[in-house]
Amino acid sequence: MEYTGAFGEILQLQSDGRKHLPFQRLLMLIVAVAAVIFLAGCKGDKPTGSPSAPAKAKKQTSKEHHTLELLFTYGSEKQAWIEEVTAQFNSEGRVTGSGKRIRVKAMPMGSGESIEGILSGRIKAHLTSPASAAFIKLGNAESQAKTGKDLVGATQNLVISPVVIAMWKPMAQALGWGKKPVGWSDILELARHPKGWATYGFPQWGTFKFGHTHPKFSNSGLISLFAEVYAGTGKVSGLTVEDVTDPKVGEYLEGIERTVVHYGRSTGFFGRKLFHNGPEYLSAAVLYENMVIESYSPKFDLPFPVVAIYPKEGTFWSDHPAGIVDRDWVTPDHRDAAKMYLDYLLDRPQQEKALKYGFRPADVEIPLASPIDPEHGVDPKEPMTTLEVPHVQVMEAILSVWKARKKHAEVVLVLDSSGSMKSQGKMKQAKEGSLRLLEMLGDDDRFSLLPFNDTIVWAIQGSLLREGRPKALQAIQSLFPSGGTAFYDAVDQAQGYLNDRTTHDRILAVVALTDGLDKNSRMTLDRLLKVIRTEGEAKTVRVFTIAYGSDADKKVLRAISDATQVTSYDGTPENIRKVCLDISTFF
Amino acid sequence: MTEPPKLTLAGKIVVLFIIGGCFLGAYYFFFYRKPVLQPAAPVQSEKAAKAPEAGLVEIGIAYGTEKKRWLEWAVKEFAETKDGQRIKVNLIPMGSLEGARAILSGDRRITVWSPASAVYKDVFVQEWTGKHGSNPIIKEENLALTPMVFVMWEERYKAFINKYQNLSFKTISRAIGEKGGWVAIAGKPEWGIFKFGHTNPNKSNSGMMALVLMAYDFHDQCQGLTLKDILNVDFQNWMQDLEMGTSGMLHSTGPMMRDMVLKGPSTYDAIFVYESLAIDYLKNAEGRWGTLKVVYPEKNSWNDNPWYLIDASWSSPDQRDASNRLLEFLMSEPIQKQSLVHGFRPGNPNVPVKFPDSPFVRYEKYGIKVDLTTVCEPPKAEVINNLIGSWLRYQRPK
Repeated sequence: MEYTGAFGEILQLQSDGRKHLPFQRLLMLIVAVAAVIFLAGCKGDKPTGSPSAPAKAKKQTSKEHHTLELLFTYGSEKQAWIEEVTAQFNSEGRVTGSGKRIRVKAMPMGSGESIEGILSGRIKAHLTSPASAAFIKLGNAESQAKTGKDLVGATQNLVISPVVIAMWKPMAQALGWGKKPVGWSDILELARHPKGWATYGFPQWGTFKFGHTHPKFSNSGLISLFAEVYAGTGKVSGLTVEDVTDPKVGEYLEGIERTVVHYGRSTGFFGRKLFHNGPEYLSAAVLYENMVIESYSPKFDLPFPVVAIYPKEGTFWSDHPAGIVDRDWVTPDHRDAAKMYLDYLLDRPQQEKALKYGFRPADVEIPLASPIDPEHGVDPKEPMTTLEVPHVQVMEAILSVWKARKKHAEVVLVLDSSGSMKSQGKMKQAKEGSLRLLEMLGDDDRFSLLPFNDTIVWAIQGSLLREGRPKALQAIQSLFPSGGTAFYDAVDQAQGYLNDRTTHDRILAVVALTDGLDKNSRMTLDRLLKVIRTEGEAKTVRVFTIAYGSDADKKVLRAISDATQVTSYDGTPENIRKVCLDISTFF
Repeated sequence: MTEPPKLTLAGKIVVLFIIGGCFLGAYYFFFYRKPVLQPAAPVQSEKAAKAPEAGLVEIGIAYGTEKKRWLEWAVKEFAETKDGQRIKVNLIPMGSLEGARAILSGDRRITVWSPASAVYKDVFVQEWTGKHGSNPIIKEENLALTPMVFVMWEERYKAFINKYQNLSFKTISRAIGEKGGWVAIAGKPEWGIFKFGHTNPNKSNSGMMALVLMAYDFHDQCQGLTLKDILNVDFQNWMQDLEMGTSGMLHSTGPMMRDMVLKGPSTYDAIFVYESLAIDYLKNAEGRWGTLKVVYPEKNSWNDNPWYLIDASWSSPDQRDASNRLLEFLMSEPIQKQSLVHGFRPGNPNVPVKFPDSPFVRYEKYGIKVDLTTVCEPPKAEVINNLIGSWLRYQRPK
């Protein structure tokens, strides 16, 4: 009644043409309108009273209850495609059978890293898709041994792409590409030959520089090793543990691995490094066909086109199997959501988008078309044959032989121990990260520790970790922060030490961490950049820098890493262990 | 008249804040909560679309994936019918033998078993009868028929025939045994080793059919395969050599045919599958790798895609009635005609196979034909069990 009166009055007031309402009347009117709107807003909802703080909290909980997050880990080589189609999926607001809205969180990572993370429970993924079934086989075998059940259930291929040797076109032509079949054996013989490209009449190209990713982290790295072992045995199928452990095969593997510039975490990252740094950085790398196609994107300014060599002895398919994880954290709702998402990825529109990114669609109804064509350096009628994927025991034996025969590393850790490292637990976490790096290095790697503030003193120098690991560990733990910052001088000293030891037998790397600006060096930045810059085979020391905390000069550190064709990282006390793990994949 | 009590400025501000809060609250309820509650809406409408819950009957069909494309289409069509409104059909893809084993171990989801052929029927009936003392099959009908075929990439088929004159298990065995593979067969080192594939005989009907027809081929007979024939040392050695060089071994035939078309001759030169699958994928293969050649083994066998309604304690009279209604629908002429599109020979004799637009006429150039040379007799349960047992013994770890 009172409200009606108020409305009646307002009408009258308006017709009267009065410009101002008395405050009390205005107040009554506003309260009335707000009450009507509010009551209407509450209609149909639970009678929880006014929209007070507890009610808001309840609504947030209700929102959480109605959303299901599906964590999907996948090989980073298909990142561009997955990101595009997943954004579309999430925007469509699909719901599970129990009424929960599905939100897919897609995380790109190396295939080995993903499977290892799920196995350890560190990554609680619900659905996973490594680049090939080899990692599913390894993960399931390890899971069976530990828990008696598989890690990943039945799988479906999302897309496929053959593993190829990506090479600069003039170099591939020098090997006979386009006129005769070229194989792993040709590439690997060239890799082993000390005269390198001179044997093909191109001494100006120097030695053959070969690259593949780290086989424990990335599928293409693992597959490269299979191919090397097959080439070493002369077989194309039926590889046995005895074949792998034959010392002659080990020597063959070592000969090839010696030409590796460095390893890397993921194929996508490795391929882009090849395209950015040019033929002086790498002559060839083991990549996927879709990456060769990606190199034709205008975003890369390449000196020559890149082409795919489909090895004559056979290759492997990267078949991108996707499967639901069989672990306690995967609920029936997650399974339901995973099935819906998988069906969506396999639907024709999404599959057609995959073709656009250079993948061969798993939907066989879609014919192969551009960009899978010679204009993009690839051949849709290849590969002609494949190598047999070895069984799990053979895979494990290959990894074990590689560990012993790989190109070992000589790493100098240049660690900031200036006074500013006292704050925010920076020193403590930097030590944790350093220990992680040390843990990831092999027994045959050499390690040096060069802590610096305004003075620089070698704590450890050139220690073979087989014997020196405990001492290295102790040296890292013994550091404490004090004094100023002579970062440039420290980096100069570290790379000078490694440069004097230059040898093709080891990956030479400086890992340099600093949290502030250089105030005490005699060396200038310009001079340092000139001194460290990578020059063909004369200077091969790589300087990985870590800008630690917000005060570090990221621009300067990036310039230092760029000069040696590697990556600069942003580190914080929270992520430093992960950064160090990432850097360790290069060795 | 006394002046009504007036609010101070601060009081007015406080009141305005409260009112503002009310508006914000109302705004939140009106506009923001919509996305929060949105997910529930489609579920409600989905439930509404599923016909009344009361009277809904759910049935499960364990079927071989060779029928996947046809059955999935047919079940969608069935859902549009009056019966389909109250019958929910769950298609459970399983290798033919996996289906039998699931029923024997009491998988309550299964009302009907529809393997690719009747070849495992005797073994299934024997094991069920031993366990329950009665015949497990209440009703049976053949949905559609299809024989076995070799499928090979045409270019490689021509090179193969040039060397061996015909394509059979005997010549495949010779090709697998060639040192150097295609170098020895056709002077083509780039084709690698000779890669032949069939499915896992311990999981899938077509894999078992491969072993049966291998045995008939070796012994050059088409009926009366005995235990003695299987245990024959020469046959055992020959089969072992052949099988050690065979790849694939997937659990189901549909995915294997798809794999051949997806990965091309790099993965399989030839495989042994159902004619229906070959027909279904001929066009897809051309869009990917090129032309396929279909070759019928001289000694062949029918896969009749039987429909077995199971006398299981867990299936109700309503479910059995629902299964019969679905069967009636599947055997109707329009649905049977569609099976032709997917390469099957209809189980309903009223539906013709040979007419101008039939795949059996259109695909003659690929080697498809209607008449088979010789159809062999399905062996007894003990022969089948021993064939699988022999095969299992020499499987190396994969």
